[in-house]
Amino acid sequence: MSDGKSILVIGGGMSGLTAAIEAAEAGNSAVIVEKSPFLGGRVSQLNKYFPKLCPPNCGLEINFKRIKNSADITSYTLAEVENISGDEGNYDVTVKLKPRYVNDKCVGCNACYEACPVEMPNEFNFGLNNTRAAYIPHNQAFPFKYVIDDRFCKGAACKKCAEACKYDAIHLDMKPETVKLKVSAIVMATGWELYDTSKLDILGGGKIKNVITNMQMERLASPNGPTAGKILRPSDGKEVKNIAFVQCAGSRDENHLAYCSYICCMASLKQVTYIRDQYPDSKARVFYIDIRTPGTRYEQFYWKIKEDPNVTLTKGKVAKITEDAATGDVVLVAEDILAGKKITEKYDMVVLAAGMVPSTKASKIPADIKYTDDGFVLPSSLKKGLYAVGTVKSPLDVAKSVQDATGAAVKGIQSARRSK
Amino acid sequence: MAEQVIKPDLNFINDVIASGGESLKKCFQCATCSVVCNVTPDDKPFPRKEMLQAQWGLKDKLFANPDIWLCHQCSDCTAYCPRGAKPGEVLGAIRKMSLQEFSVPGFMAKMVNDPKFLLVLLGVPALLYILIIAAQGFFGDVSIPTEDGKIVYGKFLFSLYYVDTVFTAAALFAVFSLFLGVTKYWKAMSSAAPNAKGSFGKALGDTIKEIIGHNRFKKCEVTKARATAHMLVFYSFIGLFITTILAFAKVIPEYFEHFGVHLGIDNSLLDVLTIIYKIIGNISAAALILGILLVMSNRFKNQVKAGLGGYYDWLFILLVAGVGVTGLLAQFLRMANTPVAYPTYVAHLCMVFFLFAYAPFSKMAHMAYRATAMIFAKQSAREQ
Repeated sequence: MSDGKSILVIGGGMSGLTAAIEAAEAGNSAVIVEKSPFLGGRVSQLNKYFPKLCPPNCGLEINFKRIKNSADITSYTLAEVENISGDEGNYDVTVKLKPRYVNDKCVGCNACYEACPVEMPNEFNFGLNNTRAAYIPHNQAFPFKYVIDDRFCKGAACKKCAEACKYDAIHLDMKPETVKLKVSAIVMATGWELYDTSKLDILGGGKIKNVITNMQMERLASPNGPTAGKILRPSDGKEVKNIAFVQCAGSRDENHLAYCSYICCMASLKQVTYIRDQYPDSKARVFYIDIRTPGTRYEQFYWKIKEDPNVTLTKGKVAKITEDAATGDVVLVAEDILAGKKITEKYDMVVLAAGMVPSTKASKIPADIKYTDDGFVLPSSLKKGLYAVGTVKSPLDVAKSVQDATGAAVKGIQSARRSK
Repeated sequence: MAEQVIKPDLNFINDVIASGGESLKKCFQCATCSVVCNVTPDDKPFPRKEMLQAQWGLKDKLFANPDIWLCHQCSDCTAYCPRGAKPGEVLGAIRKMSLQEFSVPGFMAKMVNDPKFLLVLLGVPALLYILIIAAQGFFGDVSIPTEDGKIVYGKFLFSLYYVDTVFTAAALFAVFSLFLGVTKYWKAMSSAAPNAKGSFGKALGDTIKEIIGHNRFKKCEVTKARATAHMLVFYSFIGLFITTILAFAKVIPEYFEHFGVHLGIDNSLLDVLTIIYKIIGNISAAALILGILLVMSNRFKNQVKAGLGGYYDWLFILLVAGVGVTGLLAQFLRMANTPVAYPTYVAHLCMVFFLFAYAPFSKMAHMAYRATAMIFAKQSAREQ
């Protein structure tokens, strides 16, 4: 099937979409392999972009439209690359497709969800609420097709969803499939996972209900999140009027992530605006080692946040968090370094600014590639024809990932041209 | 205008690094250490402040402060430090250096903490005893006197002249030197915090209470087990001190006898006294050995999170262990009536000499300096 100009993109997040679309719009063909049931990746989970504070979904929508309008982009969801062999211009790739149990006849009517009796944690919302084993990941999912999670679904023993479906879209006997591809170049855009905050024992990650992660905060603030965008704390649904952000929750720490995750300072400052905009009388305090907002636009954003009298920025890393059992409030200890005082304070909710872990830390790409100790792809180890994009190389923001992806599209096109 | 001139002492920075604080420069001042520390006061907490002062070479600020000794090196800071800067070990190095600053004479502290001088320092008591033994002619034809064929150390190195004289002199020297050192430390702290004036008596009482209960040690988290180990060693030292006093009391009549004065104390009373101090002594020695073994095992167990320690720590630990082991051994070998008992006894005396005569300069001095720091901190309301 190789036309000598095909480019494989591993990962259907913002970087992968960009690389595939840019390559396709330049006249090449592109195949996207995405392991989750939808495209858009981490960006689809965000409430707003920094520093413009616009919703990421509009950018995603444009990209999805570009995909729909292009005959040269094939995308596979629930798909993983199993094997890569060959060289630039002549790669043989095996892709394994997990069964979705839902075919293209799905119209997204929600009847299967309503019929499904099995509850499971909503991964898209980082476990903040539950969904069911027959579900749609989120209300703007692309493709807008329901999916059945076979880790939870009872299968043929239940069949309630299949019975409820009027369109013959559900087939619980679907089997995994294998797809063989021939491509000229491979762009790796496998993205990142959030650091597991339950490893931060002294910060109460995963133990204290009202200690959440920065990504959970995105979901709490999102209109399509578990609270429809109202920022309410998990334990009792109380409005969050007094919030603290704990920077470097795992990052810049040789016991956890030895590197700076690059985006967490901007993310927390952005999330400060979520609270301050939603509750005008709210107070927010950010505890940091250093505020890292590189570049003029980010620095200006930081200055703007600093001007808000209800926002306090305190130099000093939080290293002790406990729960006030009676109220569910969160008690935090830090040293206010500039004041030279160890302080203990109570908050409605605390956000851990958790860091980025490359997805390649846990699951390696099946090719001859070297990785850093932290699991990032070592770009110098890549042979011609293999290109790494965005957070697979180092922590990065969306804007720079997109620029990086555009560059990788050009590299991929060059590989295809060379091998023609 | 509040103008402050900071004069970094570069040599001091290098000295800290050379003395076991090699990780000092890794600190990026995040303050995790001050937060996880359970023994620091909330106001101007340690050890982040000390890490910065040490990086800047602000020797006087570090030394003239109770904080370096309020630290008990729990190593919670070291375990959670995101940079591997090991604040616990850096403060340990600074404490060691402060001994060189305050102890009298200061050069002794340098010698005691330098392995090069180990043989020299050990040579002092060894030579002393060899001379004593030679003076009595034991190296010649004179046979060591016994009592009914049984080994009695008292007949070998007659206590009045030799053991007691040497140790009384060594102890007086140590106490006097420690007193001078601690006084210098106190003065330095007072001039750095001149307004610190609470009740000295109350501060002293509270400090003693705290030491007796080992309350600070118990606040450690990563190295929790250290409290028990230290308590065993601490109380066994008190037990052995009591033993020494009672044993000394027992020979008082002999002294008088020697000078022709007969006190007329009933021998059976002295025998009871002997039984009492032997029981206390043996229990204490057993506790000492158990305690110091726990100290060692804790150090090995915690070495990843807390560090193993250096020469300064291990010289002290091994010396304490050596005193305990040779002490018990000397007793058992004497009871077994074997001649090896004599060199064992001499080795024991040499170690005891080392431990006490050099106490003002070795890690043994921590008891005086730390207690002083605690009293000062309490009196100056630095802590409760």
